[in-house]
Parts: sequence; C-alpha cells; structure tokens
Amino acid sequence: MSAAKAHISKAYLEYLSQYFHRFMSLTTEEVKELLTYCEFRQFEKKEIIVEQGQTDDYLNMVLEGLVMKSVKVKKSEVILQLATEGHVISAEISFLTRTPSPVILQTLEPTTLISISYTRMQEALENYAPGEMLGRMIMEGMYIKKDERKYTWQAKNMRQRFLDYMQNHPHMLQRVPQKYLASYLNIKPETFSRLKHLTKKKN
Amino acid sequence: MPTSTVVMYKSLRSFLNRFISLSDDEFSLLKNRIELRKYPKKHILIKEGETEQELYYLCSGLIHHYFYNGKEQVTTDLVLEGTLTGSVASFLSGRPSHYYLETMEPTVVFCISKQNLQELYRSDKKWQRFGRILITHFLLQQERHILDNIRYSIRERLVHFAEEFPELLKRVPQRRLASYLVMKPETYTRLKPLIAKRKKPPTEKKKKKA
Repeated sequence: MSAAKAHISKAYLEYLSQYFHRFMSLTTEEVKELLTYCEFRQFEKKEIIVEQGQTDDYLNMVLEGLVMKSVKVKKSEVILQLATEGHVISAEISFLTRTPSPVILQTLEPTTLISISYTRMQEALENYAPGEMLGRMIMEGMYIKKDERKYTWQAKNMRQRFLDYMQNHPHMLQRVPQKYLASYLNIKPETFSRLKHLTKKKN
Repeated sequence: MPTSTVVMYKSLRSFLNRFISLSDDEFSLLKNRIELRKYPKKHILIKEGETEQELYYLCSGLIHHYFYNGKEQVTTDLVLEGTLTGSVASFLSGRPSHYYLETMEPTVVFCISKQNLQELYRSDKKWQRFGRILITHFLLQQERHILDNIRYSIRERLVHFAEEFPELLKRVPQRRLASYLVMKPETYTRLKPLIAKRKKPPTEKKKKKA
C-alpha cells in the first residue's frame, strides 16, 4: 500500500477536502499535509478487511464503495454498519484499544478507502496542527451516529425503521443484498420482503 | 472552602486523571469554568426534545437516562457518582435530545457548559487532547454496550451487569434494571437467583465507567 503522495492533482485535493469538510474546514495545504499521514487502500468486492480476532490497524473513510461491519452471533451474523462514500468505519474497539477485533469488516463492492494507521495517527496527533481537533470531530461524529442507531433500534418499530431507512437511503436496496439490510434493520428476511411493498406503493 | 467541596474537587480530579494529567494551575483553570449544583431526587435535567447545553460530573447520586415508548419508560443508562454524563449526542450535535435525564437520588454535580468547554478547547491543545480522549472513551463504552446486547444472552447480560455494577442492583428498582438490560420484568424476577447465588468478589467495588 503506497502512502498518499503530494503529487495528486489539485482537483483531487479539492475533492478530498470535501470529505474532511464534514468534520472541520481545512485549507488545501492542511489537506496536503494530512495526506502524508494517510494511505489509499483498495479492495475487491467481498474482500475481508478485518477478520474477527485480528487487530485492526486502521481508521478509514470510504472514498468509493461499500464496507460492511458485522459480528458473529452463534451461527448467524448481525450487521452493525453499512458504510458508503464519506462514512468513517473501523473496528473501533480493536483499533483504539489495540486488541483482537470482535467484529468483521468486509467490502460489498470494489472499494477505495483513505486510511490512517494507529501509529501514523499518534504522530499526526502530535505533529499535525489540526490533528487533535480533527481527531475529536471524527470521534464525535462516530458517537452521534452510533447513538442515533442505538435509539432507532430501541425506540422505533419495525415498520418505522424500514420506512425511515428507505427514505433516507433510497439507493441501498440496489447496493446491498436484502439479507444484510434486513439484519441491519433487525427485521426478519421474510418480513423485509413483505415490507418492500410499502415503498412500491408510496412511489 | 467546606471539606465536602474539597472532597468533591478531589473526586473530579482523580476522574480526570484517568484521561490526562493536570497541573494545579490547569485544574484551577477548569475550576473557574465549572459550577457546583445540588439537585433533589426526581429532578429532571433535560427532557426529550430539548438541546443539551451541559455535561455533568456526578460527585454523588444517580442519574437515570430514558425515553418514552408510549407510556412506558425505556431505560438507556444508569449513571453513578464518579462519572461524567449528559445527553451526550445532543450536546455534541446541537440537535434535540432523544432522552430524559432525571436524578434518582439527591445528586451533586459539577457541570460545564458548552461554551466553557469550547473556551477550554481554544485555550490550549492539551484541552483538545482531553476532549478527544474523553469522547473516545464514551465511544468505546457505547460500542461495547451495543455489542454486548447483541452477543450475549439475557442470562449472560444479567450476570455481567451484576458483576460490574453491584451498586446499581442495590439502588435501582428492578423494573428499571430489567428495562436497561432489555428484558421483561418477569424475566428479571425469574433470573434473579442467578445473581443471588453467585459469590461476591471480596470488597472489590467497581465503579461504573464514564
């Protein structure tokens, strides 16, 4: 995996700035410097990025593609996160505490990630001026999303969960196999098929 | 300064020490930005729909986090003294809180407003660092809670909980504990012998993590 080099085009730099902008605004120079700490990583469709039991060395943002985070429960697999363009994904317990991962990360599409390794992140926090603030903003963003998801799971009924999700993520039905979406929304696959009629009627 | 206040500052400082080491001057800087408050039992700190403006460090007492599902309260957290809390997602996002926060006992807190926290962040990189480490801690705790509820059976959840937070078993009514553990009150009653039978580890009192 090659480290992101400074010779990337200006257009691409601006494109990348937009991704970081959701956390904090950075100048082009700051983005350039940040990239010296990062790596671009490419994966095929259905490739495992982090296996259960492996220590995750990276915090990633999806530039293109789709990464699924899941956990094995007895014989089944529960989907915890479906990260698309602009989303941050990591086996965060493993990454942050340097312990074997309880979760699995795998791609569902050919995927490009912009990643920072644990070691480089420590260096960036030390030496890169906006590092601490960017780091905090990313963690805050992750916390807010996780809380929203936890609340949705507990507070909304199946039908509401389904409708809200489909409304906010209309393309996911095309991008993600139904069984995964059903698991993510904590809905039985049979029920999920039945609920799909609701979206058809609406349109 | 009354002795009790000294003890409270000590408690806050030892909590902060878990994340960052502060000099006396740095701690004084923080002291100027926080406020000591005392609440009676059943005081509502925030309601669903309001935006959280403060974070609270509990010197003593107990705070119940919940939302309403119809008329039923669903417990999402039970926070003991020695911990930092608040409707954190609302505090960070500036969006309305999903949760109510209510004291379950007379409670004493140090609170810090959003503005004061932002000013600390601006004053020194060290506080930025503290902020990042603190939110990382919240994030890990939240992720573990989500994973545990998925990975473990109802029995396992109850046993783990009893081992980790023996204080809460004594201070929180059963129906709330059952709600927090995502089980029916009847199930809790049925499984209770599981935790009663277990030998308690010798006086090792674990406090609930922030």
